Parts: sequence; C-alpha cells; structure tokens
Amino acid sequence: MSVRRAAYAVAGLALAFVVLAPLTSIDAAQQAGLPLLTDKLWFRIATTVAMFVVMASAWNIIGGLTGYASFGNVAFFGLGAYTAGVVVTNLGLPFALALVLAPLVAAAFAVIVGIPLLRLRGHYFAVATLGVGVAVGEVVNNIEPLGAATGLFLPIVRSDLLFFYLMLGAALLAVLTTWVILRTRFGYGLLAIRENEEAAAVIGVNTTFYKVAAFCIAAALTGIAGAIFAQWNSFINQDNAFAISDNVQMILMAVIGGTGTVLGPVAGAISLELIIQTLAGGGSGSVFSQIGLGVLLAVCVIFIPRGVIDFFGGRSKLSLRYFRQTLRETSA
Amino acid sequence: MSQFTQQVILGLLLGGVYVAVALGFSLVWGILNIVNLAHGALVIVGSYITWVLFTRLHIDPFLSLPVDALALFVIGYALQRGVINRVIRAPLLFTFLLTFGINLVIVSLLLLIFTGDFRSVTPAYSGSGLHLGGIVIPYIRLGGLAAAMVLAGILWVVLNRTRSGAAILAVGADRDAAQLVGIDLRHMYALTFAIGAAFAGVAGGIISTFQSITPTAGDPYTLQAFVVVILGGLGRVSATVVGGLAFGLIEVLGQSAPRLGSGYANAIAFVVLVVVLVVRPRGLLGRLA
Repeated sequence: MSVRRAAYAVAGLALAFVVLAPLTSIDAAQQAGLPLLTDKLWFRIATTVAMFVVMASAWNIIGGLTGYASFGNVAFFGLGAYTAGVVVTNLGLPFALALVLAPLVAAAFAVIVGIPLLRLRGHYFAVATLGVGVAVGEVVNNIEPLGAATGLFLPIVRSDLLFFYLMLGAALLAVLTTWVILRTRFGYGLLAIRENEEAAAVIGVNTTFYKVAAFCIAAALTGIAGAIFAQWNSFINQDNAFAISDNVQMILMAVIGGTGTVLGPVAGAISLELIIQTLAGGGSGSVFSQIGLGVLLAVCVIFIPRGVIDFFGGRSKLSLRYFRQTLRETSA
Repeated sequence: MSQFTQQVILGLLLGGVYVAVALGFSLVWGILNIVNLAHGALVIVGSYITWVLFTRLHIDPFLSLPVDALALFVIGYALQRGVINRVIRAPLLFTFLLTFGINLVIVSLLLLIFTGDFRSVTPAYSGSGLHLGGIVIPYIRLGGLAAAMVLAGILWVVLNRTRSGAAILAVGADRDAAQLVGIDLRHMYALTFAIGAAFAGVAGGIISTFQSITPTAGDPYTLQAFVVVILGGLGRVSATVVGGLAFGLIEVLGQSAPRLGSGYANAIAFVVLVVVLVVRPRGLLGRLA
C-alpha cells in the first residue's frame, strides 16, 4: 500500500471519528477515555480547524486553481462576520438569515473589487488584495453603527456542538465545491487561466467572467465561515475579523497541503493548525508560536514548495533526495 | 490660504519619510523581483537601534543613522544569502510567503527584546521648528526630509557611478546574461538586498524621531512603500522620490478633508493604489515595461 493510500485511509478514519464522536454524549466519551473531543478546548480547536479548512479551500479556488494569489480573502471573512453582526445584533433577526446573507454580501463585494483588481497580475494583484483586506477593516473600524473601534457583540449562544457541526458543514461544502469545480468545464477554464491566460482567452474562455466567478465563490465560502465565527465567538472587531495573519495562514495552509488539489488545503489546515496550537500551548505564550509559525513558513516554502500531497504522492518512503531536488530547482 | 500652505508643507515633509522607506523597497523589487513584506520590520529594527543609542548613549538620532545603515546592511546580506536566495527562482507566491514569515519572526523577536511598550526618541530640539509667517516647519521633520534626499542621492550615485552598481543593474536587466559576463549572482542578490535593508534602517531612524515605535509599527510602511513605488513607477530613483512626495501630499490633504480623519490612512493608500493601477499602471514617471 502506498503512502498516499495510507494517508487517505487515515484521513477517512479521522473524518469519521471527528463527525461521529461528538454524537455520543461527552460524558460517555469521557468515561470510555476516548482521546480528543472530550473537553471544550478540543472542541474549540476542532472548530477552528474546520474554519481554516473553509478559508484555505476557498483560497485554493482563486489562488490555487485560477493562479491569482489573493492576500485579501480575509476581507470576505470580515464582511461575513459583520453581516452576521448587523443581522443578529442591530436588526434582531435570526442567525439563520445571516448564514444566507453573509455569502451574498461577500460575493457582491468580490464582484465590485474583482472587476478592477483581477486585471492585475503577480505582485500587483497580491498587494492590491492585501490592501483590500487592510482598507475594508479600517473603514469598518470607523463606522459608528458597526461598533467602530469597540466592535460588535452578538448574543451568546452556548453550544459547542452546534458551532462545530456548522463549521464542519461549511468545510465539507468548501471541499465539495472544489471537487465539483475540478470536474466541470468551468474548472478546466480556471486551470487554463492559471497555466496561460492569453492562450485560454484565445481558445474561447471568457477569462474575466471565469476569474470573477471564481473570486465570488471563494468569497461566498469565506463569508459563511465569517458569519459562523461571529456568532460562535459572539464578539467581532477589526482585529479578529480582519486579521492579516489569518489571511497568510490560509494561504500557507493551502501551500503546505498542495495548491490546486482538493484535499491539499484540508491536510494543510489540519496539520498547520495543530502545530500552531501545540506551539501556543507550550506555555511560552503567543510570541513563540509566532516565531514558530514564521520559521515553519520559511521551511515549508524552501523545502516542500509543492505541498505535502505532492511530497507523499505515490512515494513509498521519505527521501532526502526530494528536498535536495526542490532546493536545486528554486535557489540561486 | 496659510492653512493650505501649511498642509502642503506637512505633506511634503511626510513624503520625505515615504521616499526614505520606499527607496530600499523599490531597489529590491526592481532588481530581485521580490516584494519584500519584511521591509516594514527592517525599518523598525532601525528605529529600535536609534532608540537604544539615544537612551543608553545619548547619541543624537540623526548621528545614529549611519549605525542603522551598517547594522541593517549586515542583517540584510545574511538574510538574502542564507534564506531568500533559496527561493529566488520559485514562483513569486513563495518569496511573498517567505518574506512574510521573516517579518513575523523579526516582529516577534523585537517583542521579546523590547516588549510592546511605546518607545520614543525625543532630542532637545524635537518640539521646536522654523517659523515662516504663519507657517511652522518642525526641525526634526525637515531633518528627515533632508536625510531622505541624501539617501536618494547616495542610491543614484551607487547605482550609476560605481562598478557594483553597474553589476546590480545588470542583474536586474538580465540575470543569465549577467552571470555570463562573470557577475557572482548570489553575492549580487545579497548585496542588493543588503543595500535595501540598510536604507530601510535609515528610514527607521528617521521615523523614530517623530513617531512612537512598537514592534508592529512597521507593518503599515510595507503597504505604503508599495503604493509609493506604484505611484512613482518602478526602476528609477527619481520615480521613487516623486512617488513618495506625491503620496505624502495625497495622504495629508486627504486626511484634512472634511469627515475623513487619520483613521483612514490605509484606506486612502489603497484607493490611490487602485486608481493608479487602473488609470496609469506604469506610475507617474515609470517607463513602459
């Protein structure tokens, strides 16, 4: 059995465990001594992992499949979160409505900024989208009805299970969306744009429409995650809804896992979030976890630029030759 | 009217700071094709060096600028030679992520060493200024502008009148051809990044004289440096100078507009960025690619 198959088997078992374990009551799980999922901390971590699976998979649709490395997807997350905040707190409407509106608001915003920005490429697109994330957060931070610098408080809903399943549902939706896209004409169009945009246009791909549509789908998925986050966390402000570090984290997750693949972002989100939690839980506080994240970023980018999915693909054993080869391909 | 003149002068003075910040950023981008997201962190390292020299040894902030340059030159050379050179031929997403990681590490290290407290450098003359009619020009800001112009001059001379500068420009024009005529690419990459870092350090020293510094204070400067380079145009020292001064003016005048305030600095930068990219992608003075 190849490493790849073993990885899929482990992933399947883990997914089954993650989905089914919470259904048994927490008490029962504790008595049986099952690891994980028996206390609040692990629920929180599992929900966070699912949240990043959504963000990384959504980023993968525009960054990995289409080849437009957006550094501003966090704007969609923040807009989704603030949509939920406005719907629930300011208007007093049910949260379910927010779940419907958040992706629409995020997608509409993606159309507005996507049409001018998706004409740019490379560094220009990356930094312009970075600007989108920062600028939207700043504007929200100055608007009085949105709580300005104080932030917005949502009524607290105490249910670890509910938010875990909501986030898990969003994660499955994101993965499924990627899977479906890759099997349609639309998906082939996106890959064609990534490989050679002029050639794609010549063979009849409506590149502007395809790019904006991919951006919209990514935005809608990210917006859903934002809405769930807002209700789950019950407090949102510029720092937690528009965190630039979240933005880099989702990209890193997709890159570590393998961009352009269906399961890459999932693998990346799970492994990176667990590493970050371990570093943060080491007792030395968040400064060391930040240093750890930075070093990890450097190591991954230098040694496994095509992601762990590529690294394990069809390989029966780990080999140093792989690292040496990638290093030779990219270094001066 | 004098209110307006005052704003214009303040804008140009602020623009001087942006020129200083953007010179190194522009050089690294133009020659190495790397958008260095750690640029803001390098700027703040310079600020902290000036702060330490000022509080411990009572050295005037403007006299400490060469020390900033030297220290950051060494750090920059080591960073490029040891780390960034490893991904210089990878797709640009990777240099982006790598420099972001470096930014994270530097900011965290600064946080460990100096804590998150606000630090400021306050020489005796920091409150006084030049009075011309109804207009006040603070001495420190004037010193900052002068230092930025000296920096621009130095960069122009290095690039256009020295052998190393010619090699750097050659590497920027065509890496393979440069290697064929015997230029040591690894050394030239490192040298270019080192010069960029040294300029960032000097910019940081200037910034510490008028702004309280924290480990994260550099982050906005990375975005602003990018906007300045876009606004002026990539690849010429004069374009960066014009872009920096113009951006300083836009920001000060934009913030003095009714209903807007200092809370919108990044949003203004972003709007400028998008407008320039859509209307005139090569910048005010940029050459056609």
